[in-house]
Amino acid sequence: MTLRDIVRQLELKVVAGADWLDRDVSGGFSGDLLSNVLASARPGDLWITIQRHVNVVGVAQVAALSGILLAGGEPPAVAVLAKAEEMGIPILLSRDGAFELAGRLHRILVPGAR
Amino acid sequence: MRTFVADLHIHTCLSPCGSLEMSPRTIVAAARARGLDLIAVTDHNAAGMVDEVTRVARAIGLVVLPGIELETREEVHRLAYFDDLASCLDFAAEVYPLLPDRANDPESFGDQVVVDADDTIVYTEPKLLLNALALSLEEAVARIGERGGLAVPAHVDRTPYGLVTQLGFGPESLRFPVVEVDGPFRPEECGPGAVLWSSDAHRLKDVGSRVSVFRMNGPVVDEIRGAAVGVGGRSIEIRRGAQCSEAAG
Repeated sequence: MTLRDIVRQLELKVVAGADWLDRDVSGGFSGDLLSNVLASARPGDLWITIQRHVNVVGVAQVAALSGILLAGGEPPAVAVLAKAEEMGIPILLSRDGAFELAGRLHRILVPGAR
Repeated sequence: MRTFVADLHIHTCLSPCGSLEMSPRTIVAAARARGLDLIAVTDHNAAGMVDEVTRVARAIGLVVLPGIELETREEVHRLAYFDDLASCLDFAAEVYPLLPDRANDPESFGDQVVVDADDTIVYTEPKLLLNALALSLEEAVARIGERGGLAVPAHVDRTPYGLVTQLGFGPESLRFPVVEVDGPFRPEECGPGAVLWSSDAHRLKDVGSRVSVFRMNGPVVDEIRGAAVGVGGRSIEIRRGAQCSEAAG
């Protein structure tokens, strides 16, 4: 499953890193404490968060995540988007909350799960 | 009793988010240019620059209060100040093993280097310093106290990393002798504690941009505590510092 597939199915807005949507998404992770993501997310995860600090980009890079899915609709600051473009980290945006996004992403990535 | 114009929250090139221009030489020059009497070097979860900045500062009569800015488990930032370098370094060594073993990626977060008085890099910190220690806020405060330090919640009203913004307390619930305020909070809102203003400078141009002016007998933790409660005519006054568009150095 690629980021592009997920963008289409969850009707997400791509706000940074549009050139890297062919990246494979192996799983998902939801959380807003950066240290928790660094400690527990797995490489290839798509990270659902409400956190909009510029450090999200560095965290996604260091943890080798496939991308960042920002819940709650508010776009991040221009500096965050610029950093994401520079580092090649896709940032996706949704108006939905993290709970709903995690549920929908889980249904896509783990089709047999109830 | 003396007056100390103080900026007690300054990062160096050891902090990943601190600019590489933040060396002992340039920080001390900037502090002098902006009329500071007292500064604190407070890098994220590390104190490796305190010694060298202190040496350079001593030559011009600028006092450096040894410090560190901890990031606790809750991703809340907490400043700790100590009377002497040894206590500060011992404390930094005590918490270092509590920092996750995640390597820094300079491209993602910035360089983490210790430089000497000649701007020569003498050490590169391998672990990512801008990470949360395996230590709760309460444990951090207790350990700072055990070492004789003063614990001050940093930029309590900033998102993220502030105590109030991160954990949702109201400003009136702040129960610390001294709190550092960054943004919208007014001092009278912040519970019984004294309010500090500091620059939290990550770049040279910000050194001394916000200051706290102390009336006290000396630049030590007990005197700061005394100034916070106003004992014996001691006091703290917050104000914007000297504006300086030109980088010193």
